[in-house]
Amino acid sequence: MDFKKIFRMNDKLYVGLAGLATDVQTLDQLLRFRMGLYELREEREMSPQVFTNMLSNLLYEKRFGPYFAEPIIAGLDENEKPYLATMDLIGAISKTKDFVVAGTAEGNMYGMCETLWKPDMDEEELFETIAQALLASVDRDALSGWGGVVHIITKKGVITRELKGRQD
Amino acid sequence: MSEFTLSPTSTPSPPGFSFDLTHRNALIAQSAAANNPGKLPKALKTGTTIVGLVYSNGIVLGADTRSTNDTTVADKNCDKIHYIAPNIYCCGAGTAADTEKTTETIASQMELLRLNCGSSTSRVVTACTLLKRMLFRHQGYISAALILGGCDVNGPHLYQIYPHGSTGKLPFTTMGSGSLAAMAVFEEGYRDDLEEGEAVELVRRAILAGIWNDLGSGSNVDTCVIRMDGSVEMGRNCVTPNDVGVLREKVVRSSVLDMKRGTTAVIGESFRKRSGGGVTLEDVVITEMET
Amino acid sequence: MGDSAYSFSLTTFSRTGKLLQIEYALNAVANGRTALGIAAVDGVVIATDKKFASPLVEGEEVRKVEKITEGSGFVYAGVGPDYRVLVRKARKSAQSYYCEYHETKPVTQLVKSTASVMQEYTQSGGVRPFGVSLLVAGMDGDGVPRLFQVDPSGAYFGWKATAIGKNYVNAKNFLEKRYQDDMELEDAIHTALLTLREGFEGEMNGHNIEVGVVSKSDGKFRLLTPEQIQDYLDEAN
Repeated sequence: MDFKKIFRMNDKLYVGLAGLATDVQTLDQLLRFRMGLYELREEREMSPQVFTNMLSNLLYEKRFGPYFAEPIIAGLDENEKPYLATMDLIGAISKTKDFVVAGTAEGNMYGMCETLWKPDMDEEELFETIAQALLASVDRDALSGWGGVVHIITKKGVITRELKGRQD
Repeated sequence: MSEFTLSPTSTPSPPGFSFDLTHRNALIAQSAAANNPGKLPKALKTGTTIVGLVYSNGIVLGADTRSTNDTTVADKNCDKIHYIAPNIYCCGAGTAADTEKTTETIASQMELLRLNCGSSTSRVVTACTLLKRMLFRHQGYISAALILGGCDVNGPHLYQIYPHGSTGKLPFTTMGSGSLAAMAVFEEGYRDDLEEGEAVELVRRAILAGIWNDLGSGSNVDTCVIRMDGSVEMGRNCVTPNDVGVLREKVVRSSVLDMKRGTTAVIGESFRKRSGGGVTLEDVVITEMET
Repeated sequence: MGDSAYSFSLTTFSRTGKLLQIEYALNAVANGRTALGIAAVDGVVIATDKKFASPLVEGEEVRKVEKITEGSGFVYAGVGPDYRVLVRKARKSAQSYYCEYHETKPVTQLVKSTASVMQEYTQSGGVRPFGVSLLVAGMDGDGVPRLFQVDPSGAYFGWKATAIGKNYVNAKNFLEKRYQDDMELEDAIHTALLTLREGFEGEMNGHNIEVGVVSKSDGKFRLLTPEQIQDYLDEAN
């Protein structure tokens, strides 16, 4: 089954949600609803920073009965600079300049990313690195796998590639 | 009439916590224990060392920068010294989201109070009272252990606030999992009327004691000096004993680690051009009008 | 809905299609002390007359120009206590906006939400409209100076320069003559004071007027101190 876990919010902003399937889909709907309302009301695109805070508040509202989902926010900010952030299931934000990971293969992915990541990669290098980090990580995680997908957000547009992965 | 009873200025959802999913989650936890389909995600904690002390001309606050998820380090350089008012800051230990949101809420209430009173600075007791009331109201379920410090018209003040809402006003204090290590340093080195330089140095040593000797604390030292004249000096990452960047740069990366183009097998590819928001003539197919 | 026969809105259409309560509210505004605003290329100024009925009134604690967010402020003409309700609501909505998005509430949003509060009071049961018109001055992250007027009906307008309250017709005529598209903030402050003087009874000084400015240099809204106002007045003489 191809279960969608990465959602397009706008041209410059994608969000990945790892966790309970029903909550992943509910959060996607809620986020699109709130963002759509914001963009109609303010007649402008939502910046990744604002989006992160909105999502954080959405999650924290359910502090004592949380959505079981850990989000990853990736995009380009107003100055076209890369933006990466993640948060826990109740909305504690952490921003990094290198990489963020979430999901059941988290530990594996930390290892892969700490090893493979290097600064100033171009988009093709970035694709190969993230794809290899992902494939190698899910190989040792019984709960993840069945292929993968990579989105590379660039100034011109978004490249989406489906990866060939194990089907077991 | 519901259109008019709801304030149009309100945020999308009503204030306060929502308990919609609590029952469902309890059921999930129950069946998870029975079937074990994988671990449920856990909230980030800041197994922390935070400290604060009063010196001759103000307050010095200190914190480490590690945030953990179970035994994994989730953030190697997070910020645990939170803004409350221009003359008040607050260190937070406990659940990361709780310390973050609690201090944000109080900072917002303090700003509203300042605007409505026409004053430029706030009083530390006010912040302390608002914080303890909020924590007490939630009966300890908001796990935020705080060290609140600032200078106001009545002088420098340092408070510690427990998750259940009890508070203490002290000349020096430590909190978090590294509090014992840090307190050992304070007990040995604290005097009344320390000079600023000595005070900052003592705070750094106390945090470093936590970083080295407590597993929940780590990475760098953050400090914050709040002086009686109202000036604030943030010492973000003022000591970075665990910076691996320098070492990493020296490592000769094996070329095996550079992923060559085409390494990954791809079974599908698509490109979504950026639309740029508005619609231009180029986006429209022009057809002859039927007459 | 359980509404009794008497709880329908005070603002009910008259047979001629007018909402008389709103017109009366506008009269209350037109009787209020003059307030005016000018948007320059590098900032906005709002100013008002703060003269009291008696010289015995303690005037230092009376605030007519109020800061709402870091980069915006209000001034009014009309009923003072009504104004303070709007200020409190606007500040609170700005704070909740900041808590939600971690971005200062844009001036346009502030205007829209305040206008909808005012509109709500023209269509709800058991309330009367606000007896104030507001001038909202501010600047967002984009650095564009903005000046808006919000009326008791909930209608709002953007202006380059305008005036409300007593004598607003003359003041607007004066502003129309003096306004230039390339005006800088310093000129705008002088023009604002000059316009205010036109309708002012007695001698203007740092204590009987209030001025708020937002400048492009830091994007912050601030009130001028009586000393600063006096300096501007002295420069004009």
